[in-house]
Amino acid sequence: MPNGPTLSYEGPEGIYDEAVTASGAPRDHLTQLMEAVGSLEPEQLAALGRRRDANFIQAGITFDTIGPDGQAVDRPFPLDLVPRVIDADDWSVIKRGLAQRIRALNQFIDDVYHGREIVREGIVPWRLIVSRSHFARQVDGVRPPGGVYTHIAGLDLVRDADGTWRVLEDNVRTPSGISYVLANRQAMTRLAPRLFSGYRVRPVDHYPQVLLEALRAVAPADEGEATVVVWTPGPLNPAYFEHAFLAHQMGVELVQASDLVVRGDVCYMRTTRGLERVHAIYRRLDDEFCDPLDFRPDSVIGVPGLLRAYRAGTVAVANAFGTGVADDKAIYPYVPDMIRFYLGEEPILQNVPTYRMDRPDDLAHVMDHLDELVVKPTSESGGKGVVIGPHATKAELDQLRKDVMVNPAKWIGQEVVKLSTVPTVLEDGSLSPRHVDLRPFAVFGESIRVIPGGLTRVAMTPGSMLVNSSMGGGSKDTWVLESDSPEPDPEAADAPAQGERLLPSLPEVRWDSAWVGQSQQQQQTRDITEGEDV
Amino acid sequence: MHFGIDYVTEYRYDGEVIDNLNAIRARPATTPVQRCDEFHVRTDPETRLHRYVDYFGAEVVEFGIDRPHDHLSIEVRARVTTTEPDEPPEAEWDALRTTAYETVAGEFLLPTGQEPRPERTAELVDLTRATSPLATLRLTTELLRDRFVYDTQATFVGSTVDDLLDQGGGVCQDFAHLGTVLLRAHGIAARYVSGYLWASDPEGGDDSMEVETHAWVEALLPGSGSEDPVWVGADPTNGVLAGARHVKIGHGRFYQDVPPVRGVYRGQAMAEPGVKVTMTRLEAQPSPRA
Repeated sequence: MPNGPTLSYEGPEGIYDEAVTASGAPRDHLTQLMEAVGSLEPEQLAALGRRRDANFIQAGITFDTIGPDGQAVDRPFPLDLVPRVIDADDWSVIKRGLAQRIRALNQFIDDVYHGREIVREGIVPWRLIVSRSHFARQVDGVRPPGGVYTHIAGLDLVRDADGTWRVLEDNVRTPSGISYVLANRQAMTRLAPRLFSGYRVRPVDHYPQVLLEALRAVAPADEGEATVVVWTPGPLNPAYFEHAFLAHQMGVELVQASDLVVRGDVCYMRTTRGLERVHAIYRRLDDEFCDPLDFRPDSVIGVPGLLRAYRAGTVAVANAFGTGVADDKAIYPYVPDMIRFYLGEEPILQNVPTYRMDRPDDLAHVMDHLDELVVKPTSESGGKGVVIGPHATKAELDQLRKDVMVNPAKWIGQEVVKLSTVPTVLEDGSLSPRHVDLRPFAVFGESIRVIPGGLTRVAMTPGSMLVNSSMGGGSKDTWVLESDSPEPDPEAADAPAQGERLLPSLPEVRWDSAWVGQSQQQQQTRDITEGEDV
Repeated sequence: MHFGIDYVTEYRYDGEVIDNLNAIRARPATTPVQRCDEFHVRTDPETRLHRYVDYFGAEVVEFGIDRPHDHLSIEVRARVTTTEPDEPPEAEWDALRTTAYETVAGEFLLPTGQEPRPERTAELVDLTRATSPLATLRLTTELLRDRFVYDTQATFVGSTVDDLLDQGGGVCQDFAHLGTVLLRAHGIAARYVSGYLWASDPEGGDDSMEVETHAWVEALLPGSGSEDPVWVGADPTNGVLAGARHVKIGHGRFYQDVPPVRGVYRGQAMAEPGVKVTMTRLEAQPSPRA
C-alpha cells in the first residue's frame, strides 16, 4: 500500500491528478513523497501547520483578508504542507517553452515600437495593438539597453484534463510572487526536512543573484559596477514585502520616487554622500505612474524626467516601458503565431483555446456559449472582471452579455480548463484534491534563465478553480526534480553557475530574522500573487 | 503667408522651487502646406535643452532647472511660411470602407475612451450626417460654431467633451475634442491639432497681434477616384476649414497627446502661468502691382 493507513487520497474523476493515476496508484516520482506524507498522523500534520503559521506570522509573511466583522485580518501566507512535484522531463519542456515564448514576446515588443514587421505581414492587426491601454506611445522608437524588454516574466501555466501544460496568461509587466517561492521553500526545508529525503530538488534560492546579474548585464555602466536599485511605490503597496525582500537579498537600495532625481539626462539616487548615478532600476509600478511628464501628469509617485534618461539610454528600467502591450489578453491568442514568425519555430507550450472577440464568428460563438466559457476583460490582470460561465448566475451572464457588446474587442472568451489537482492538507489533517496553477519566473539579462518551479497557487474550496489568494487560495512549495541521468542537463540554464550559491557578499535573510519581521505591519497584501503591482 | 511667432510662458512662483522639468511642443510642423523656417527656445534661468520627435511626429523640447529659482520664463520664437491647402477631395461615403482608407486612418478611427456616452451625442451626429464625408466635415465645423458659445470661463484644461455638452460652451480645445468625437462617429478618421491662429483677416488688419495657442481638427477624407486619402484641417471654433492662417504644431488623439507646455517642479510655491503669443505678419500682402 503506497498510502499509509492514516491518510488516504483519491483524485477526482475526469480531472488530471498530479499525484495519483486514474486507477489510484501514485505516480512514480511521487511514491516516496506520498509514503512520507502518509506516515504522518493527521494530528502531526495539523501540528506542523500550526508551527508554520506561527513562523510566518513572526516573519511577517502574511496577507490581509477581510474578516466576518469587516475588519482586515492579518493572516499567515497560506502554504500547504504537501509539496507539488514536477519531474525533470516535464520541467525540461516547460523551461524550453517558457524561454521560447518570452523570447518571442520580447521581439514582439521591440517590433511594435520599431519596424512593425508583424503588422505588415498581416499577422497582428495594427488597430488591435494601438487600442491596447498599455501600448506606450511615449517609448515609440526607443530601444532599451541590450534590446531586453521583459527582464522579469511570470507566465501562468495550467495543466488540462490530459495533463498537458498550457499557458493561461503572459505577465511581463511587474509580475509578483517570487518572494513566496523562496519563503515557501525555506519554510518546508525547516518544517518538514524528512519529506525531502530521497528527492534531489532543484534549488530556487539563487533567484536574487540571477536577477542582480541580469540587471547588471543590461545596465549601461561605463566602468566599474553598475548601481542597481529596486523602486517601490511604498509601504502601502500590497507587494511591498517582496520589494523590500528582493532589494535586501540583492544587497541593493530600496528606493521610492523621492529618492530618485533626473538631472540633465541622467538618473541619480539621493544618498547621504550626495547624488549617486543609477544605472538600472527594477521598478515595481506600472508605466503610467512612472513619470508625470510623459505618462499620467497626476502621478505623485513618479520620477519626472525618467523617460528622458531612458530615451537617452543612460538607465535601464526593468521591465522596460511599454511591455504591457505584450501581456494584454487580446494579444495572447497571437503569441503562437509570434513564435512562428519571429523564431521560425513551433510553439513548445500551447495556449488555452481562445476566442478573439474582434472576429464576428468568434463573438457569435462566445455569445451563444456564455454559460460554458470563461470571459475575461483584455487589459486587466489578477482575475479582475473574469466571469466563469459554468459558475455564473443567469443575471451575471445577462450583465456580461451587455458589457461585452459595448466593446467586444475589449474581451476574450476561453474554453474552461479543468485544472489539475494535487493532494492538499485540510484543517483536520486529512488529504483532499485541490485545483492548482503555476507561475514560474524567468529572468532575461544576457540570456533567459527560468527558476525551477515557481509559485503554485491552490484553490482551497473543493471543486473550485479560483486560485486567487483573495478567494482564499493557498500555495505550495513546488519541487522540480533533478534529472536521473548522471550527465549534466545541457539545457540547465536555470542551474546556478559554479560557486554561485556561496554568496558572501549577500546579506542572508533568515527565516526568523529580525529584518523580515520589521516589515510585518507594512504588509498589506490584498491579492499579492494575483497579477501585477499597482 | 509668412509669420513670426513669439510665444512666451512666464511663471512667477510665490517662493523658491527646484527640479523644474518641462516638455514643450511649440515648433511649427513642416507639412505639405507649411514650412518652419526658424525655431528657437530660450529659458530664464538658462539651462540645457533636449529634443526628440514624439510618436505623432511633433518635436518636443525638454529641459530641467535643478537649482532654486522663483521665476521661469520660456520664450519660443519661430518663423513659418504657410500656403492655402488644395481644395479638399469629394468622395462617396463608401470610400471610407476601403482598406486603403483604414490603413491611413489607423488609430484615429478608434474610440479613445474619453467619449461621452453615445446617446449624448446622437442628436449632433444625426444633424451632421450629410451627402458626403466632406459635406459632413463642413457641416460639423459650422454646427459646432453655431451650437456652442465660445466661453473661456466654462471649461478648464482638463475638461471633457461631457463638460462642453453640460456647459453649452467652452474653448477651442473643447470644440476640437467634440469635433473629433462626431467625425469618428460618422466613420471619418479625425485627430486633434494644436497650433497657432492668425486671428485676423488675411487681407487687411494689423501686422502684429496677440493671439492664443489654438486647437482644431484634421479629418481624413477619401481621395476622389483612386487618389490617396487626405488629412483636411477644419476649425470648429470658427466654423471654417483650416487655411494659411492656421499654423500647425502637431496632432494627436486629443489634447494630452500634444500639450504646448507640460511641467512639474518640486516645492510648495504656486504659480499661475502668464502666456502671451504674439504673431507678426512678416510681409505685407503684395499689392496688385508688386
